[in-house]
Amino acid sequence: MLIAGENNNKMIRYLGSWILAGLILSGVGLSAQEDMSLIPAGSYTPFIKGITEEVEVEGFLLDKYAVTNADFLEFVKANPDWSPENVKSLFADSGYLTHWPVNYLNDKDLESNMEPVVNVSWFAANAYCKWKGKRLPTLHEWEYAALALPKNDSDSAALTRINSDWYSRKTAVHAKVGSTYENQYGVWDMYGLVWEWVDNFNTVISNEDSRNNEDAPQGLFCGSASLNASDASDYVAFIRFAYRGSLKANYTTRKMGFRCAKTIK
Amino acid sequence: MKTKNFFYIIILLLAVSGYSCTEQQPERTIVDAEQEVKGHVRAVLTDAPQVPPRITNKSNTKVIVELEVIEKQMRLADGVEYTFWTFGGQVPGKFIRVRQGDLVEFHLHNHPDNMLPHNIDLHAVTGPGGGAEASLIAPGKSAQFSFRALNQGLYVYHCATAPVGMHIANGMYGLILVEPLEGLPPVDHEFYVMQGEFYTSGSYGEKGHQDFDMQKAIDEHPDYVVMNGAVGASSGENAMMVQVGETVRLFMGNGGPNLVSSFHAIGEIFDKVYVEGGSLINHDVQTTLIPAGGSAIVEFKCEVPGTLHLVDHSIFRAFNKGALAQIKVVGDENHNVYTGKEKEEVYLPEGSAIQTISQNKTQKSTKPIAEKSFEERMEAGESLYKQNCMACHMDHGNGIAGTFPPLVNSDFLQARDDKGIGIILNGLQGEITVKGTNYNNIMPAVSLSDDQVASILTYIHNKFENDGGLVKAADVDSWRKQQ
Repeated sequence: MLIAGENNNKMIRYLGSWILAGLILSGVGLSAQEDMSLIPAGSYTPFIKGITEEVEVEGFLLDKYAVTNADFLEFVKANPDWSPENVKSLFADSGYLTHWPVNYLNDKDLESNMEPVVNVSWFAANAYCKWKGKRLPTLHEWEYAALALPKNDSDSAALTRINSDWYSRKTAVHAKVGSTYENQYGVWDMYGLVWEWVDNFNTVISNEDSRNNEDAPQGLFCGSASLNASDASDYVAFIRFAYRGSLKANYTTRKMGFRCAKTIK
Repeated sequence: MKTKNFFYIIILLLAVSGYSCTEQQPERTIVDAEQEVKGHVRAVLTDAPQVPPRITNKSNTKVIVELEVIEKQMRLADGVEYTFWTFGGQVPGKFIRVRQGDLVEFHLHNHPDNMLPHNIDLHAVTGPGGGAEASLIAPGKSAQFSFRALNQGLYVYHCATAPVGMHIANGMYGLILVEPLEGLPPVDHEFYVMQGEFYTSGSYGEKGHQDFDMQKAIDEHPDYVVMNGAVGASSGENAMMVQVGETVRLFMGNGGPNLVSSFHAIGEIFDKVYVEGGSLINHDVQTTLIPAGGSAIVEFKCEVPGTLHLVDHSIFRAFNKGALAQIKVVGDENHNVYTGKEKEEVYLPEGSAIQTISQNKTQKSTKPIAEKSFEERMEAGESLYKQNCMACHMDHGNGIAGTFPPLVNSDFLQARDDKGIGIILNGLQGEITVKGTNYNNIMPAVSLSDDQVASILTYIHNKFENDGGLVKAADVDSWRKQQ
């Protein structure tokens, strides 16, 4: 997708960032964060029209795995406001955690369930990350981290393949976190497991009618015209942006979960 | 308002009288959206080739349409699976039928197990995005909007969610008919046929689950062009059936996403074509253009028995990519109309010289392929036969008397030392006698791999009551080397 020269430049920048980030990390002792990976500072060209230049992304920490049912159960136990019985419909629609058993508080299987939690709203995901002392990744952070190829894979088409296998349901519907692929930052399942909430999911959307470009706010993306995309072959990114465009913050769906991020201080 | 209504009634009367007496172009009417709507009904929705019943209600009605988006894996061709995105579980989507003046209350449901957001743009809607703006929904959500059917006609609907082309290419299209105020004239049969093309990761006929190929879609190079969502969906055993003397109306749509269809019925003339699905009527038409995202209504009377082939007369799409549906007409011969005995007008696209049907070059391999067992050859041979031979030699190998020789119990085939290898590889031209009947026609050379030729011939020798036996790829290879 990127020409070789660009890649080399990027690599140099990446290496630089790694060294810098390494210094920072060792300085502040954050390396104890075993459940998170360092995503080094860098830049990427977003898929969206209007942003023709590369977007700078600061270094940050990202959960290695999507939040599991077991993780989320702990959160609900500690925060009864977020239990399925108590949650306000303003913050989560009627699909919220409907895949959990009625007696979820005493469910041993759920306590150890390593599948990603789904049927959670943006509000719930946001609250969980805060409770953990973290935050949701921004859209640019998420997309940037997801661009990393699988470990030991140099084929740039690998990610498109993982995505299209997922869309066409060749991969399992119910799978545990850590079951698809690990990318070069050590982060698992960015594609191919569940959709994931990002902090500003609705700031970059395709219009509800994906072809309506005359009213599209500056920099926003018009889905139908591949000319508007920075890379037409990356059609799987179209789908992600369209998906985000269909969401509201209290929506829950059977295939959408999340993971948390953290700013490096 | 009163004078306005009166004006419309006059127009309507003119339209009806003008139409029924002289069959001139009917006057157009556009419904006044202020007119009253009485009562409500739930729309009857049907899968192709079926069409919902004619609308008998004579007043403006609220019609409630419930359409569910379902993503599911289905058959695209024999041995070929594809993950379709559908309006209602099949491709094309459910046929919707309303009457001009109706108020349509549309409910679009996105099944909770779906992976993706979807919406709907109905070309019958007067309003932004044809409803697309109002209907974008995540999996597990429903959207509702209403529109007034102002214009009559046959309209395409499709999904308009990014990437739009991909949603359409995966099967998200269907037809909505807005019947004129006076209704369409009665006919004996109404059918629903819709063309669309598929862009698969593997080439035509490649077995197994096929992924969508974005590059082929951008290049507009489909591997499949099909009628009603799959190769053979409305032909052979699934063909539409009518009797001699009956009249047929086809609601024909083209979902695209890219190709324009040269729609033609082999063996029939369209008595009447509602051009582009609108109110302009043309008569005596052989082939009518149907744009991507467009439609046509065609009508004809079936005068003689036989099989009508509905094709995209951009003809390689019909015989090499699947764009073929069939109507079987049964009943008595009428020699005043047609004298031939069961002679079907199969289009033979090749010229007078022997030509080569070339396969995708990537399928040819110079590497030796392991020999297959008899069972494997028969299985592979069956689908290869259907793809390469069936159009002329027919499903059961009986051919067409006088035109295409039979393969069943063929003395001509059994007398050959090469088991028929030479015929497939070199083609055959000139006069031959098969089972006492003379044939003088051209069969083009078919450039298949050794492995494929061996499978086809094993199938023909065993399936069609010939001398049996197993043809090996090595046999084909040594025959090639002798040449």
